[in-house]
Amino acid sequence: MDSAYLYSVIAVVLTVCNVRLISILPFTRTNNDYRSNKRSTQLTSHEPKPLHLLVFLGSGGHTGEMLRLLQNYEALLLNKDNHLYVGYSDNESLDKLKKLMRQFPTFSIKCYHFKKAREVNSNVLQSIVSILQTLITSFRYILEIKLSMLGKPHLVLLNGPGTCCIIAVWVKLIDFFWLFTSSNIVYVESLARINTLSLTGKILNWLADEFIIQWEQLHEVVPRAKYFGILV
Amino acid sequence: MNSKTVLVTCGATIPFPKLISCILSPEFIRSLIDNGFNRLIVQFGRGYGLLFGKQLGLLKPSEEKLSSLTSCQLGSDQVCCFKIDNLEIVGMEYSTRIQELIKDSADLVISHAGTGSILDSLRLHKPLIVVINEDLMDNHQQQIADKFEELGYVWSCKPQTSRLIDCLDKSQRKNTELVPLPNAHNKNFENTLINLANS
Repeated sequence: MDSAYLYSVIAVVLTVCNVRLISILPFTRTNNDYRSNKRSTQLTSHEPKPLHLLVFLGSGGHTGEMLRLLQNYEALLLNKDNHLYVGYSDNESLDKLKKLMRQFPTFSIKCYHFKKAREVNSNVLQSIVSILQTLITSFRYILEIKLSMLGKPHLVLLNGPGTCCIIAVWVKLIDFFWLFTSSNIVYVESLARINTLSLTGKILNWLADEFIIQWEQLHEVVPRAKYFGILV
Repeated sequence: MNSKTVLVTCGATIPFPKLISCILSPEFIRSLIDNGFNRLIVQFGRGYGLLFGKQLGLLKPSEEKLSSLTSCQLGSDQVCCFKIDNLEIVGMEYSTRIQELIKDSADLVISHAGTGSILDSLRLHKPLIVVINEDLMDNHQQQIADKFEELGYVWSCKPQTSRLIDCLDKSQRKNTELVPLPNAHNKNFENTLINLANS
């Protein structure tokens, strides 16, 4: 009798979890507007409100593309009332960001240093320790950012590499427990990817709310992706 | 004197010695002079100063004290400058102002086929020859170079002197023009972001 209760409670909990997972993960959504991409996407709201924006500068080419994206869409993304949260893992990226931001002097910006998930040439034990450290500190950061985003228009803009997956997982996890929020993750696949996805792309395909590709051929690999030409 | 400048960049992080060898081959230098270029600026990448100097030495240039551009314009403190006939050759490890340099000084850019370098030039509307660094992992640059050439945005070749000279000739012909890279601003993408942000 008792075990029957227990089982039914477990069943209910599992069902609730499943429903929540299905509601927050993107793979159940069909891309009904893939064909209609070429038609114009209608705006649902008219007044632009200040945006809370989390971007991750992934070093090298990733940073380059992300900064170009910010610059190309500055009217929306670098609007002076926006709040920008920047994750980075190398100082070169931070320098490039500062150089860009000289054009936007009155801008509210907060930087968070994410340790690289794995350094090149580290052994298994070092890797495990550094991955754990990265996981814990990054969760603290994401929680802090997520809390300041609550209830406001917000976006999480990612374009690789590996650390992005950790960020996306934490954002979705908070999404899972916090019922009245949405993650709004946008992943923009690298311009260098023409026929195949990057490893980060393959993982983020399961998590990102909008998956953006910059070459139309990639539709064969990710049918739900959206294509708007070269954005960087 | 009107200057006609070609700017060569190997990328800031990944060295590309084969490109330097092609650029500093006697045949290519001759071809530049024949095409009326009087300045060659090379960003050869960190740690490649010695190789650059050695290659250049084979051409027996005369050393110049000062380049026609200031180190501030070049974005680098360590600049070496030489002259062969009318061609001024300026070399540096790394420039902090590569975009400004391309914008203000370059009439033609030759770069490795990394997306960052390709965009640097094309977004500034400069004619670009990309040279594929075949030694990189899964030959990534080949794909992107082929794609961009197919679309007519760039001329591309492998790091061989004769191929590079072919590309240079192509770029200097009167009636050949590259297709301009379409604008990166897409209203539908912007609307998608706005809708998602407010969802």
